Amino acid sequence: MLLRLITWPYVRKHALRTMLTLAGIALGVAVFVGMNSANASVLRAFSQTIDQIAGRAELQVTSGETGFAEDVLDRVQSVPSVRVAVPVIEAVADPHIRGEGSLLILGVDLIGDRNLRDYDLESGDDAVIDDPLVFLAQPDSIMLSRAFADKNHIAAGDRLTLGTAEGDRTFSVRGVMKAGGLASAFGGNLAVMDIYAAQKMFGRGRTFDRIDVALTPGRTIAESTRELETALGSGFQIAPPSGRGQQFESMIAGYSLMMNASSVFALFIGMFIIYNSFATAVSERRKEIGVLRALGASRRQVRLLFLLESAVAGLVGSLAGIIAGTFIARGIAASIGGLIHDVYGVARQAVHATATPGLLAVSLAIGIGTSMIAAWIPARAAAAVDPVRALQKGGDVSLSSGETRARLVLAAVSALGSTGCLLLDRSGALFYASYVLATLFAMLLTPFLSVGLMRLLRPLLKWVRPVEGTLAADSLIQAPRRTSGSVAALMLSFALVVAFAGMARSTYGSLVDWMNTTLNPDLFVMPSPDIAVRNVRFPSTMSDELAALPGIETVQVVRQARVVFQQTPIMLLAVDLLSIERTARARVTDGNASDMVRAGAAGKGILVSDNFAQLRRLKVGDLLELPAPAGVIRLPIVGVIVDYSDQQGSILIDRTVFQRYWNDDSVNFFRVYLASGASLADVKRRILERFAGRRQVFVLNNGELRDYILKIATQWFALTYVQVAVATLIAVLGIVNMLTVSITDRRRELGVLRAVGASNNQIRRTIWMEALCTSALGLALGYALGAINLYYALEIVRQDVAGMRLDYEFPIGVALAVMPVMFAAAFVAALWPAESAVRGSLVEALEYE
Amino acid sequence: MNSLVAMWRRPVSAAGLTATSVILALATPYAADNARRIIEEVQRRTDTMSQQYEGLLQVVDAKGRVADKRWTFERLGSHGRSRSVLRFTSPAEVKGVALLIVDHADRASDQWMWTPAVERDRRIALQDRSTRFFGTDFSFEDLEERDVDQFDYTLIGEDAIDGAPCWKVGATPREAKSSQYTRSVLWIRKDNYAIARTENYVKTAITRRLDYSNLQNVQGIWTARQIDVVDLTRGSRTRLTLDKLQYNATLEDDDFTVQALRRQ
Repeated sequence: MLLRLITWPYVRKHALRTMLTLAGIALGVAVFVGMNSANASVLRAFSQTIDQIAGRAELQVTSGETGFAEDVLDRVQSVPSVRVAVPVIEAVADPHIRGEGSLLILGVDLIGDRNLRDYDLESGDDAVIDDPLVFLAQPDSIMLSRAFADKNHIAAGDRLTLGTAEGDRTFSVRGVMKAGGLASAFGGNLAVMDIYAAQKMFGRGRTFDRIDVALTPGRTIAESTRELETALGSGFQIAPPSGRGQQFESMIAGYSLMMNASSVFALFIGMFIIYNSFATAVSERRKEIGVLRALGASRRQVRLLFLLESAVAGLVGSLAGIIAGTFIARGIAASIGGLIHDVYGVARQAVHATATPGLLAVSLAIGIGTSMIAAWIPARAAAAVDPVRALQKGGDVSLSSGETRARLVLAAVSALGSTGCLLLDRSGALFYASYVLATLFAMLLTPFLSVGLMRLLRPLLKWVRPVEGTLAADSLIQAPRRTSGSVAALMLSFALVVAFAGMARSTYGSLVDWMNTTLNPDLFVMPSPDIAVRNVRFPSTMSDELAALPGIETVQVVRQARVVFQQTPIMLLAVDLLSIERTARARVTDGNASDMVRAGAAGKGILVSDNFAQLRRLKVGDLLELPAPAGVIRLPIVGVIVDYSDQQGSILIDRTVFQRYWNDDSVNFFRVYLASGASLADVKRRILERFAGRRQVFVLNNGELRDYILKIATQWFALTYVQVAVATLIAVLGIVNMLTVSITDRRRELGVLRAVGASNNQIRRTIWMEALCTSALGLALGYALGAINLYYALEIVRQDVAGMRLDYEFPIGVALAVMPVMFAAAFVAALWPAESAVRGSLVEALEYE
Repeated sequence: MNSLVAMWRRPVSAAGLTATSVILALATPYAADNARRIIEEVQRRTDTMSQQYEGLLQVVDAKGRVADKRWTFERLGSHGRSRSVLRFTSPAEVKGVALLIVDHADRASDQWMWTPAVERDRRIALQDRSTRFFGTDFSFEDLEERDVDQFDYTLIGEDAIDGAPCWKVGATPREAKSSQYTRSVLWIRKDNYAIARTENYVKTAITRRLDYSNLQNVQGIWTARQIDVVDLTRGSRTRLTLDKLQYNATLEDDDFTVQALRRQ
């Protein structure tokens, strides 16, 4: 009833401001929904693909990404609790169809695989699937999912060209699988072929990627896992299919952390808009509150009224945000999918981003909750209104002395707490507590700092425009509550900008430094144009062929694959350490450079990257246990070097050790150094000619590889930049809101000014200057908080995200670049409020209040 | 019993057993003993040094469509001690695909398949033996020859197939895990100890029926030149016709190895 009688008329009267407030919530929630549903959809799509491909498999035997020798299958099949064990190879191939993306190739042995997976072929193709002999006898046989076939107008009997390790090969479509189940895996972009043909086509030698296992009835997963571990040794991962999903999640944990933190930040900034709106509303409606109180409404009822209003605003804003978030999620999902592919090498697949009911409920709760939390202080202030004072004329936008004291005390406690936490522990929960307290400290001080800075600026403004400057400065100084809300929102946005820009700057700097010292070959010879693709490989014999080509001085082979270390897939690099040492000078952070290479090459130690050591708190001398198919490698860390091959860090071993423990001499790519005076273009041409028709070979020069790596780094930051832009947009909305409120508050004052002869332009300029000053305050405080924020952000990157030791460099360039943009945005934001101030009826303005 | 019979099941080894003793046994508590003797006699009568033939496989699916394939078959030894190579000769898409079966007296056979286009041999795991043999109605297990000792036998009764009186013998694998079938029933002609029919059961349901016809005496061995197998769960059937059948030809040991599969 109160909402209808009291709130609704106010909302109707201030429709624009209400819209702006709702927009603040909506934007925050939209970013939250968009980011989270996109992230969750990517994870879900990955898990779904695993489940759909797993079929009726209850356990899967893997050995990281490296795969293992075929004889492991016999050992698995001989385990009593294993009813069915079938080998699998997964590879991603390019179907050369515009806009279609990659095709996941599932290589299986169709003789036994039907015990685990259903290959339901469409009617009419029975002859094909009923005659697996033809399918197996012809290595060009392929089965496609109905979804892929339909999209590309392919029918059974048609031909399809795919990029393989042996170059482009044409396949015969000998079956089309019914939609659903297995055929839905990888977003429907799935093809099935014979595993032995797949081994050949994708350069796997005589290895399998995985063995899928179904258990003997009556035996448990735990029993079977134990038996398999005994039979195979500890170099294998034996887990239900869902275990791979968990590994994937642990691999991208750092990225998820960053995404979540950023989306929460957007909500946090939105909170200030709501706070500002409600604080203003309380101020404007003091008379109304006074009447209510005089008529017998209790403080609790008044407080509840405002909280209820905030809840309704939160609900409406959240609903709008959910709709917008669901809409933008698809774009974000595509971006995340691309990023995860490029950074982690996980095959990109079509993702249909949908928000789960759970996420929608959480978003709604967060939107409403955030709104109510933001409105809590204004609601409490409303409840505390004295009816007598409230019915007197005049606003209340200043801070009470009690509130001032409380804020200062809290700020001091926060500052002390933050420093104390940091001194006690620079990692873990206390570190994060320190971060939160530092931010709280800045927010609590915002009103005082805003007023203080404004007082400093007042003479300057007065000098620029004596009348308008003074009016603008006084307006901001006299309404610290109104001013500080907008300034705090801007401050947080700019702090975020500084932190991300600083991180990006340091990251780029570190990457370039690493590339200059380590990634210095002239050419990189790869089996895929996509550096992230590791499941197509070369035979080692190519090394000699390359070395024999004129113009090539040195060829170094690199084998890289993720192996599971402490339940997380970690990048393993197997190289000829002595050869690499002769051509590259990696920056050493722990250990002696030549000693570590000698020990590593002799198989007496392991080198790890600095980020790997940082993330796992490891140092030289620590013993590392690395599971491999031929047993567990137990070797000490002999050196820590800077290597950014992988975001989770990397382990470097000598190639001889890898060959011994993995029985695998395949190659992911070759590092090629040219002979003195050789032409890059000529050598590149010779390499392509040498392998034309029998190998799929891509040759990248050093610059191209660098560009690719930097592009990934840019992608990494791209999403966060979008979030920063949204946060800034929310902050700009805050300026519009603040100015609208300010004008409404001062209608009478502005009316008097106009009555005594102030021109419309003077009024306009006053409003514009207010906007520019708010922006300037936000920028100044934002940069100050950003400087602190950057420190924490770099520490979080080092400790929990990427393990990279990034140098602290304040992003002066970005800070300077943001200034004109922000002033322009503030000016634009002020245009409509300024026009509204001069176009209103003078009589009405004088009658206001 | 020749390997063709064994192919459509079951093993049999030598040992004398006269028709008279079998008939007497039907009415005695020694029925199981006599059933085994019948099987031993079947095995004895089909014991050969080798066997060769060219087979025509005609698979008729549930819709009545017929697909033809041809293979050559060579076997060295008999029953639980034999090795066989089956090589497809047509159609062109499957030409050269070969299967090596190494039978063992005391356990299931080892099988390898060779696919020349991929130049790879692959082992057919024991778990996969119940799989249909390349679109036919035979399973990989049906291609094995087992020794008489791998089963327990019971004489179920008598019956007539195409007017020929037969013993009905039940065979149950001694190791349940070694076979997809829970049990089999064999109809053995009393006049020449040739198998006339086999029915294979999974639990209590019959899954495959094999009928042996066009019985001919080849080099002293009664051999069915036509075998029809019906997959009762799918409703499809396959007919195998034997041409150029020959026993006891000289074959080389070396031709019955995985290496030999790769060579050819």
